[in-house]
Amino acid sequence: MTWKRRAWLQPASPGGGRAEATPYVWLALGVLLQFSAFGQVLTNTSRGVVVAHDRRMELVGGWTVDGVQNATMIVAGGDRVVVLDALHNEAVVVELANGRSKRMKTAETPIDAAFVNGRLYILARDARLLNDMPLQADMLEEANGKLYAYSRVTGLLHEIGGRTFRLKPFAADLELDGTTAYLTYPREARVRTVDLTSGVIGEVAVGAVPVDLAFAGGGTALSARILAVADPSAKRVWLTESTQSTAAAVGRGFLRGVLGLGLFGDRASQFPTGVDRVETKGRLWIAYDSSSGTLYHFDRKQSRVLARNLAPHAFALTENGVAWWNGTSVAEKRLR
Amino acid sequence: MTALVLAVLLAQARLASDFELAQMQAQLARARDFQSQLSARLNLGDVRAARNETSLARAEYTTAYELAERERLVARRNSSLTRYANATSYAALAQAKLGRAATSFALLEEVARYASDDAESWNLYASAMRVLGHPRKAVSAARNAVATADEPLDLAVYQHALATALIEVDNVTEAERLLVTVTTALRSEKFAPLQQEAARQEAFEVYSSARGDVAAYVALLNRAQLRLAWLYEKRGATGAAREQYRRVLEGRSDDVVALTALARLAADDAERARLYAEAFEANPFSLALIREYRKALTTPQTDMQRALVHLERGELRAARAVLDELLVKFPANETLRGLRREAEGVAVVSLPSASPTSRELRALLEGFERLTPEQRAALDAMTFTSNVLVNGDRATIEGVPVTIQGTFDVHAPLTYRILGAAGDALLVEVAR
Repeated sequence: MTWKRRAWLQPASPGGGRAEATPYVWLALGVLLQFSAFGQVLTNTSRGVVVAHDRRMELVGGWTVDGVQNATMIVAGGDRVVVLDALHNEAVVVELANGRSKRMKTAETPIDAAFVNGRLYILARDARLLNDMPLQADMLEEANGKLYAYSRVTGLLHEIGGRTFRLKPFAADLELDGTTAYLTYPREARVRTVDLTSGVIGEVAVGAVPVDLAFAGGGTALSARILAVADPSAKRVWLTESTQSTAAAVGRGFLRGVLGLGLFGDRASQFPTGVDRVETKGRLWIAYDSSSGTLYHFDRKQSRVLARNLAPHAFALTENGVAWWNGTSVAEKRLR
Repeated sequence: MTALVLAVLLAQARLASDFELAQMQAQLARARDFQSQLSARLNLGDVRAARNETSLARAEYTTAYELAERERLVARRNSSLTRYANATSYAALAQAKLGRAATSFALLEEVARYASDDAESWNLYASAMRVLGHPRKAVSAARNAVATADEPLDLAVYQHALATALIEVDNVTEAERLLVTVTTALRSEKFAPLQQEAARQEAFEVYSSARGDVAAYVALLNRAQLRLAWLYEKRGATGAAREQYRRVLEGRSDDVVALTALARLAADDAERARLYAEAFEANPFSLALIREYRKALTTPQTDMQRALVHLERGELRAARAVLDELLVKFPANETLRGLRREAEGVAVVSLPSASPTSRELRALLEGFERLTPEQRAALDAMTFTSNVLVNGDRATIEGVPVTIQGTFDVHAPLTYRILGAAGDALLVEVAR
């Protein structure tokens, strides 16, 4: 396959110019990566980096156990890690301390999981089950010992064992921070917030197509949360100050708006095909472009490529940097 | 809607005449934009697959994937996220058709992030999951497509896709209800403009990926009626099944699936023979048709039927002759290749016993060229005794045609040697 693609590339680079300067070459590289980059997931745990690939699971520098056929998601708890195979309805849970593993069949399409108060929850999207409980949802998030699930189709945000919030459907991402939920709406160019205590819903306009968000600071008693929002259409990560909950805003006497700062000012974009995933840990910010598999490290002024041809879940922030699966081993780069 | 490419996948064997193949190749030749080219490639791939031309089908799907991949990256670079999501869906579908489950699934999940409000994306998700053999995932995605559809024709397409997936998880009650809804709606006044336009255009081609409302309408009505008929037939409602199959033939008289089904349900042999002949003229390579026909042979009227009759009777030499002629015309056809392999018969040929049975003589006739030198020497030394039946200038032993050298008494058992095989007869010599 590789040979054939390269043969196809030759006419697309007339004049023998630099391969990376022509869009066709770049596109073809994108094609190539698609055949090999999936089925690899990686996460950071209390014991170090765990990666699942090629039917194996490994704690870097530690145990290795049998994994799943096609790893689609990995989630770490305090003392365990679970890898999901949403395609083949299987999960493997491993104790981080000793590598003792347990394989289990799941209901249809285990798309997400969470450890809450020592208990593992697996969301089987197409069976519409959270463990054994009927639930239609696509995303799971945990905050303060509570589990929340959102359905893109119904727009319902469920607090498991608690109340249900009716939101607009079709959000791309859900993140929780204390008592506030944040959801991105790509079509509407909005980020909506839900005060999980009062139920008050707010919204801010962000960029052109906001897809993913992470927390980039703020969130104190005196300052609103700063959101880093990946916008692949604008090819920027926006820094946006979220709307305060009504209670907080009234208490402080004003309602904060949107900063909406695209990083890097008006200069040419630092993300050639945009980024659609963003992750933060303190001052460590990384972004990822699913279309090309490119991972970036960025700050307010610049970005730089860390790795290419990565699977969507094959990287993670660690305490001091970032780790990713490079196809044969775990690579780590110190960023602090 | 007109600009949409609607994927309507069929689990049963589909019509795939040479004419249709030519039409699709013409469509490809005219195609300039991404969706036209993609649609043409997927259609060609599906037709090739239906004709069991696996290598050619994979080549079309691979090209479709490359088109989609290029489009998604250009769209991404141009900040057109709607185009990006659409192209990514089709890249996933092409990957599914190529059997690359992990890549297909990852691409579909990527689309779900951007376009969970897009019914067409969910429909493509369902199609890909069905192709990959995950019908429960397909059901879930198809329900999302139905829930987010707005236009009536779109809704009918997605209801049909949901019904198809439901059949695969044995929820036939809900599937039948949906298909009744779809077929009733499509034949109702609500779709009168499309019905009239289809009639005006004399549109009848059934595409797996139909571009434009008329093509989508024609394809959808065909598939929905076929599926509903099949459900009726499965639960023994033969009259209702026949009615639906006949309605399919009203849309196009050479639909191989409907013709095969009606042949299966035919009231008498003459009607069955006529329908099978029409079905083989429509698509001689349909595996479903071939399977059905071999269970209920009729007087052959096409070359493929003749080959199958020879195969069923164990007349492998004659079957090979017919199949070899067909392979000259269709060298890449996997169905023909498979039948040709079957016509080779068993690899090891045994010598007949002293009073050979019909099976022993027929096996020797079919495999004479594969006798080892040692077997040939042994055969030359052997004599056999059988009754000969002479009918005019045709002689048979145990039903196997023979050409006899020498004179003999037709009223007494003949003792003979076997010299060889010529055409469909064994060459024997009267033993002195």
